Amino acid sequence: MMLQVILAISAVLFCFGLLATLTRSNAIMVLIGIELMLGAGNLNFIAFWKFSTHPELLTGIMFAIFSIALAAAEAAVGLAIVIQVHRRLRSVNVNRATQLKG
Amino acid sequence: MNFIDLLKRIPEICKTPETLPLEGKKLILDFVTWLGSLVGIAVPPWVLTLVNILVVIVAIIAVFLIMFALMSVWERKILARAQNRYGPNRVGPWGLFQPVADGIKMLTKEDIVPRNADKVVHFIAPIVMLVPALILPVLLPYGRGMVAIDLSVGILFFFAVGAGSEVAIFLAGWSSRNKYSILGAMRAIAQMISYELPLVMSAVIVALVAGTLSPTGIVEAQGGYQFGFFPNWFVFTPWGFVACVLFYFSALAESNRSPFDLPEGESELVAGHLTEYSGFKYALFFMAEYVGMFAINGLLVTLFLGGYQAPLPFLTFIPSWCWFFIKLAFLAFSLVWVRATMPRFRIDQMMQFAWKFMLPMSFAALFSAAAWHYAGRGLLGWGISAVLVAIPYFALGYFCFTRHHSADNRRYLFSE
Amino acid sequence: MHELFQKIIALPWDQAPQWLFLIPAFVMLMGAAAAVMLRNLIHCALCLTLSFIALGVLFMALGAEFVGFVQLLVYVGAVAMLILFAILLTPAGEVAASNNPLRNFKFSRAFAAAGGATVALLVLVSLLGAIFFSPHARAVVPPAQAAIAPVKAIGENLLNHTLLPLQATAILLTAALIGAALLAKEEKKS
Repeated sequence: MMLQVILAISAVLFCFGLLATLTRSNAIMVLIGIELMLGAGNLNFIAFWKFSTHPELLTGIMFAIFSIALAAAEAAVGLAIVIQVHRRLRSVNVNRATQLKG
Repeated sequence: MNFIDLLKRIPEICKTPETLPLEGKKLILDFVTWLGSLVGIAVPPWVLTLVNILVVIVAIIAVFLIMFALMSVWERKILARAQNRYGPNRVGPWGLFQPVADGIKMLTKEDIVPRNADKVVHFIAPIVMLVPALILPVLLPYGRGMVAIDLSVGILFFFAVGAGSEVAIFLAGWSSRNKYSILGAMRAIAQMISYELPLVMSAVIVALVAGTLSPTGIVEAQGGYQFGFFPNWFVFTPWGFVACVLFYFSALAESNRSPFDLPEGESELVAGHLTEYSGFKYALFFMAEYVGMFAINGLLVTLFLGGYQAPLPFLTFIPSWCWFFIKLAFLAFSLVWVRATMPRFRIDQMMQFAWKFMLPMSFAALFSAAAWHYAGRGLLGWGISAVLVAIPYFALGYFCFTRHHSADNRRYLFSE
Repeated sequence: MHELFQKIIALPWDQAPQWLFLIPAFVMLMGAAAAVMLRNLIHCALCLTLSFIALGVLFMALGAEFVGFVQLLVYVGAVAMLILFAILLTPAGEVAASNNPLRNFKFSRAFAAAGGATVALLVLVSLLGAIFFSPHARAVVPPAQAAIAPVKAIGENLLNHTLLPLQATAILLTAALIGAALLAKEEKKS
């Protein structure tokens, strides 16, 4: 029961992230949504680690650590791109960035 | 057990100063049990656990707030001596009650919130600032067996919780709706993030050599004496000395103290992120800054200066917890000394110093520590590690500081 | 009334401490909801920070101390600060005429929001259905281990079993650092 409750919490968190990504037009809000979804993924890793038959193998923990490192890299590059887009277009609205050439 | 027995134990406890705080805690727990027996109930174990936790929390907060009060008057005294004046000497003997007067003044001042400010954020910023600062001291080992929470990830805990103060500074700066506030906050955050890298790196070096992230384990690893008199502290090794100096200056920058007090540089930014704070909220910021400073210097003592270990074998009769606070007091004095001596950095110099000098130096110290670890603690290890930190030091010094920057070369970056 | 009291007493109270993780979970969900719904971008980012902190505490409550502290260090110390800086560096300028073809459609915003909300809701319903009602949901879950991950074991695991991913991550982080610095660098005006 406890595992299912944690998974449900994680699902709700994931859907908040999805909502932000789909409905907000600000690029930074889209990134915030992606961060929330990644957090939900990490929560699932930890939950499955806690309820696994061999927690001493630390598989879930390892996945979560790598996922956090990747999320940090993703946020850094994503925000740098957002700043560059703002410099070109004077806006961070994702609907404005429709051209592939600068 | 009766009350007389408890009273009789007090002189006994005072005779053994080494374990005085621990025995004092036991005495308080026994006192609670005695109170329970007085009313005729057996005290349930969870109450004793709760009392145990509360005693530790109250002790830590009380000690650090008293230290904050003493430090505020001590700092003014030392600064005054450095500038050839007397300093506060009106309130109480030698001006010792000055903090009380300051506190009353702060509490009775009007609490002003700017009309355009984001009221909620403006209100919670001092709280967010104070809470991490008061959480930090729990993991420091104050003496043998005297640590509130013996975390196996203590060092990581310190930096993770310490990150909260950056958020607090941003909250304060942004919510004030004042251009000086936001500029000061951006400067403070840029500075804290930049100096966090050498800070964490030099702590990582110690964790690497000690083989543990637990502060108690690190202090234990520095126990004992070489040749019977030379303490095994990490500061007395080539890599440890470099890491200690890096940690000291990063800690200065992290706690926004002079010469790294650009975020509050009065001549440029009024008071930085504190501009729009007055009365009690300002006092909270002030308190958080000092408690955070004590905590980070306590970590320095733990990591490099041997924590609660005595410097010489024949000095071990002084209790271990006294040694911790003696070292902390020495560091606090040195901070004031630095403040009285050094002028403020210019912001581009400060950023260059962090990224071009301190970060490469911390990497060099890491290599040097690894070499020391594998070459053994003999003469060979010393030689190799000393060379490994000396070469980068001179090379970096040559490339970073001997070029003459003309005024046109100055580039305005970092929220200037 | 008396029966109700008896029932409350009979609940498995000794198992209560292991449900304490619901407190940080609740804070986390509230923070995430506020981060998604609020209009002011800075408030969004601050609520996101709160949500990250609560998520770290939740990791610790589930026994993963190390991951919890790494979460706090990376997300609160770095990612939240990056997001706040990015918000301050990208002020909303004047809204020029967009070349978005849907711009002229009157209710485009409302439709987009409704569509996004519908998709998110559908995903949520299907996920919850899978969690609670799928055949696998009735599979026997091993009891929660009193599992803690010792730091030493994590370190040994990192340098033995996952050495290659560790190195790859190191290269990726270096590339991300350089890439972010290059992207955000101001170009010289010609």
